[in-house]
Amino acid sequence: MSIQEKLKAVQNTVPHYWPIGAFIHHNPLKGFEDLNFKEGVEKAKSIFGGKVYMDPDYYIARYNKGKITSESLEKNLQKALQSSDFGDYAEQAKTFMLTISPDWNSLRSYEELKINEIDEDLHSCLEKHSIYMDKEAWLEALTKHMTFYEIHDALFGTTEKELIEKDIIEYIARYLDEAQTTLSMADRELGMFNTFKLYENIEHTGDSEIYVQEILEKLKVKDVEKYFLTHILKLHGWAGFIKYRSEDDSYYSQQEHPSTLMDYMAIRLHFERKYIGNETINNFDILHSYIKENMEFSILKLLQSKGKLTGTYNDAMEEHRDYKEILNAYVTDEINLNSLQIQLAKKRLPELDMSLVDFGKFTHFLKKEEGYIWLKSLEDSYITHYVDEFTSTHTYTEKPLAAGIFCLDVRSEVIRRKIEESGAYSTFGAGGFLGLPISFVEFDKAHATALAPAVIKPNNIVFEIPTESHDEYNEKKGVTKTYKKVLNDLKNNPYTPYIMVEAIGWAFGVKLFGKTFFPGKTQKLFSKMKPKKPKTTYTLNKLTEEEIEKYVKRLHINLINEVLTTQSNTSLDNLEIEKLWEHLVFDNMHCTSVPFDMIEKLKDSYHVTPEDYKTQKERLKMVGFTLDEQAMYLENLLKMIGLLKDFPKFVTIAGHGSLSDNNPFESALDCGACGGSISLPNARALCMIGNKKEVRDLLKTKGIEIPEEVKFIPSMHVTTTDEITFYDTDILNEDEKKQFEKVKKDFNAASLESREERVKVLPNAKIQEDLFTKTMDWSEPRPEWGLAGNMGVFAGPRDSTRHLNFGNRLFMHSYDWKVDNNNADLLTRIFDGPLVVGEWINLEHYFSTVDNKTYGAGSKVYHNVVAKVGVYNGNYSDLKIGLPTQSVLTEGEAYHEPVRLLTFMEAPLDTVAKAVENSIAKEFILNEWIRPIIIDKEAKKVYSYEYGEFIVIKELD
Amino acid sequence: MLIHFILLFLFAGVPYYVYLEKTKTLEKEKIFFLSTALLVCGIIIDTLFPQEVSMPFVIIAFIASLYSLYRANKTTNLYKLGYYVLFFNAPVLMLFGPEESVLYALSMLLTLFGLYFIAKYYERNYGSANYQSVSGITLVTPYAGLFLTIYLTALALYPPFPNALLFLNGILSSDTHFMWYIINSVIFFGNFLIAMRVMAKTVFGKPNDNVHYVDLTLKERRLHLFIVIILLLLSIVGFKELLS
Repeated sequence: MSIQEKLKAVQNTVPHYWPIGAFIHHNPLKGFEDLNFKEGVEKAKSIFGGKVYMDPDYYIARYNKGKITSESLEKNLQKALQSSDFGDYAEQAKTFMLTISPDWNSLRSYEELKINEIDEDLHSCLEKHSIYMDKEAWLEALTKHMTFYEIHDALFGTTEKELIEKDIIEYIARYLDEAQTTLSMADRELGMFNTFKLYENIEHTGDSEIYVQEILEKLKVKDVEKYFLTHILKLHGWAGFIKYRSEDDSYYSQQEHPSTLMDYMAIRLHFERKYIGNETINNFDILHSYIKENMEFSILKLLQSKGKLTGTYNDAMEEHRDYKEILNAYVTDEINLNSLQIQLAKKRLPELDMSLVDFGKFTHFLKKEEGYIWLKSLEDSYITHYVDEFTSTHTYTEKPLAAGIFCLDVRSEVIRRKIEESGAYSTFGAGGFLGLPISFVEFDKAHATALAPAVIKPNNIVFEIPTESHDEYNEKKGVTKTYKKVLNDLKNNPYTPYIMVEAIGWAFGVKLFGKTFFPGKTQKLFSKMKPKKPKTTYTLNKLTEEEIEKYVKRLHINLINEVLTTQSNTSLDNLEIEKLWEHLVFDNMHCTSVPFDMIEKLKDSYHVTPEDYKTQKERLKMVGFTLDEQAMYLENLLKMIGLLKDFPKFVTIAGHGSLSDNNPFESALDCGACGGSISLPNARALCMIGNKKEVRDLLKTKGIEIPEEVKFIPSMHVTTTDEITFYDTDILNEDEKKQFEKVKKDFNAASLESREERVKVLPNAKIQEDLFTKTMDWSEPRPEWGLAGNMGVFAGPRDSTRHLNFGNRLFMHSYDWKVDNNNADLLTRIFDGPLVVGEWINLEHYFSTVDNKTYGAGSKVYHNVVAKVGVYNGNYSDLKIGLPTQSVLTEGEAYHEPVRLLTFMEAPLDTVAKAVENSIAKEFILNEWIRPIIIDKEAKKVYSYEYGEFIVIKELD
Repeated sequence: MLIHFILLFLFAGVPYYVYLEKTKTLEKEKIFFLSTALLVCGIIIDTLFPQEVSMPFVIIAFIASLYSLYRANKTTNLYKLGYYVLFFNAPVLMLFGPEESVLYALSMLLTLFGLYFIAKYYERNYGSANYQSVSGITLVTPYAGLFLTIYLTALALYPPFPNALLFLNGILSSDTHFMWYIINSVIFFGNFLIAMRVMAKTVFGKPNDNVHYVDLTLKERRLHLFIVIILLLLSIVGFKELLS
């Protein structure tokens, strides 16, 4: 196996880390999805450490509140016990889980040890099975996932780790910087490792792989694969980001400044070798011999570094007593404490007829299994409750005036419910990108944003172009741009900041005080200064060959003209420029007065070349959609949500986004199905498509007849305040406008009522106005609860869920299996997009809640934005993965209730089975990283997929 | 001369703890009490028999003080830390005038008794007064974290705690010379370093998952509150002394 292959074998342990600007929720244990959930989380625990379930106290509180039913707990406990020798002890097991387990750690008490006698049989049994008797194995367990420098620090009290990791972070943060700094690192285009060689003055001609090989040999690493994993785990946020970049060819910064995990490994190992090289013990061979000669001391030092030695032993170590004696005392105490724990627990179950040794095995089994038993019981309790609700009969016959299509996002739940309650309205849910993946170039922006789930690469580009004069916009924009440029120049000049602070620093105080004490008024004041975007439309149609040719030519000619005018003072007439362009692009012979070096510059620096001509043409070919594509996307959406007939007069399609200030995680609150961006462009584009006569004519031939009077109106749902703003209403005639006024009024009323509901669960919010303040308050760590609380997804007709209040906890995708084909293509599409995103969101929240230290980002209070790609703590740390505590916890307690995504699907079992088989989500569905529940109303059965099979959990009447 | 010898023996130049620790004649806790008792005796003698500052004795005390600083930065046991801090501060007690010495010694003793009770609490809950593995207490045992922070802040000579004010009072009241500058600077920064090292290791940081944390009981909290109130009263005295 080559070095590269060895790295590849372990790199999937860490998930991708997407840059924070387009925050993508993801499962931090994605690399373990090939295993069943229970096995996967246990394996991850052995690698990352940390917790994978909540503490027993948490579940017991839920049990006492009735959220976990006694039946589900008993059923799951019984199921677990059946696989052991303790099938007859269900009652005692339940008592143990409810009353003894929460106090389990406190039963290991030194105070109690002084007054209790230890049972000899139990002690010998525990001693026999403990790792302490095999020092080699114990040592291996202690040094598992420890780098050389960490072991060195633990044994000899050095502080190499701090120095090494600081140096690594400093280099990679500067190299991977995406225009946060004004003093960029030089020569980054050479690649991460080649730049590093210049940075560290390394004279080495080989690539990173050869360099890594050489250092591994110097360090005398035996198990290279394992050592790679150890290093990856040290700063796994950074490793995940480098992994993501290196695997996404379209990532602009990666194209500009390439990096690979092997480069990263070379940098890590270089610093390790650099600091360790000067030490006496500087490779694994010498280290192992030292440890062998000083086994007891080494074990004690390693235990001490892991915080496993209690005070008495630390005192003894400080006094340099006989290490063998100390270790023996430690082992005796540990086994005594373990015995005591079991003995004290047994005393609390006096009626249990079981020997202490057997009871020890019993408690060991229960402690190992209880997390999963509790989790599944909580999930099962919800499943039972919701299945009953979803299968109760409710019919809605009133013809709606308008239908609202919202993102399936949990935050749409309350607004949808309120809209339906406010009048004759129906609502639908679909993935926020509406099945229309686009690369969107916003008006006045130069770059495209992919508005689609991270797993889908858009093939169509949509430009936003103005439909009215925008002189005022340009003027204001120009002033703002000049102001920002002057300010930046003053800030970044080495001398001016001192003078600037004295001279104009006070001016910033106005904003500072205003934003702190009067955020609303300040926001209003500054928004007046901002240029107002003109009315716009989108380029939805494909360009013709001639148009493409014309635009590329114009682009190049403008470029040539600008370069010649600004850089060589050469003035050519249009004909000559055209000939020069033909020479550059088609290699036509041409005599020109333009100097040779300028021609070369046009080719090399400005890319006026045949290749660029081709590339630009290819890119322009991606602009817009063919008529067939437009009809297909609209058809897909309508079929997906089951809206194929009885169209209401107005169909509003809502995009959504969030508003907050000074919030690096803002994009995490936007649309997950649009790659962490606002999904309004998808809604506007699809409405424009839906209002086209040609599209409707084409759809008619496919059996979908949208009456002429039906109008698609796009809207924007701000999830922080539940406000809804409508766009492109100028397509309505006067009569329609009057009718639409009622819709607007009712939707506004629904917004108001949604805010009433929302304000009750958001900390530091008493009245509706507080929600608006939160969008502008730069000290607000929690502008909204976002996706916290998400619990499940429902794919089926809205009528089955319309009578329920889910408290913003359910993703709701409209789906009518009767519209689906035999191959279950529609359901497969739901699985491939929304379900994948839903699982990522759900599991990111799950793990950030159960162990925020290991899988979350910690408190926002300590975060600093680094390299514009993420946040870290203080001035150097690992790139923080996962969600901050403020997104999932409140006052130290979990706000988000961590359960796997309860995936309710109202469809026949066969349809679901086909969709699972065809979907990219098959692996995590079958490995139970979500909880699939199938409501098969045809067969009158409800199935749950658990323990590797579909089991009937309810028979319907 | 005799008084200087007595003082040197009682609270300054002879780190008898080296012998006591090595031979295990006395427990760490007892050494702490012995040190405080001897310090009190020394202060009484110093007050009853005032005399000129003797530089050779001060220098001997300072050398012993530097050794105590070294030991204080090696230990993770709070009892030991208590008597190392006493020994470390001894040279300034010899440099200051009798009244200033008494006040500074009083504030230091009071703070160290606070620290002693925290050490007792550690011993009861974590098996020993060693804080090596008991990290991040502020997050998990906020009361213990709060009081330990107060004592360490006072020891680190941060105003408005009396140690800082009375140390400053001592400095302002004594005569300056070359050794005076060196000793005061070393003692000032040394106290800071000792206290900050403890703070970084046990008050702050990530709580240790292997430790079952228990916070101060109500009785203990009352006791520490009482000590803090007396410290604040001493602060008032310190301000008064400084202003006068």
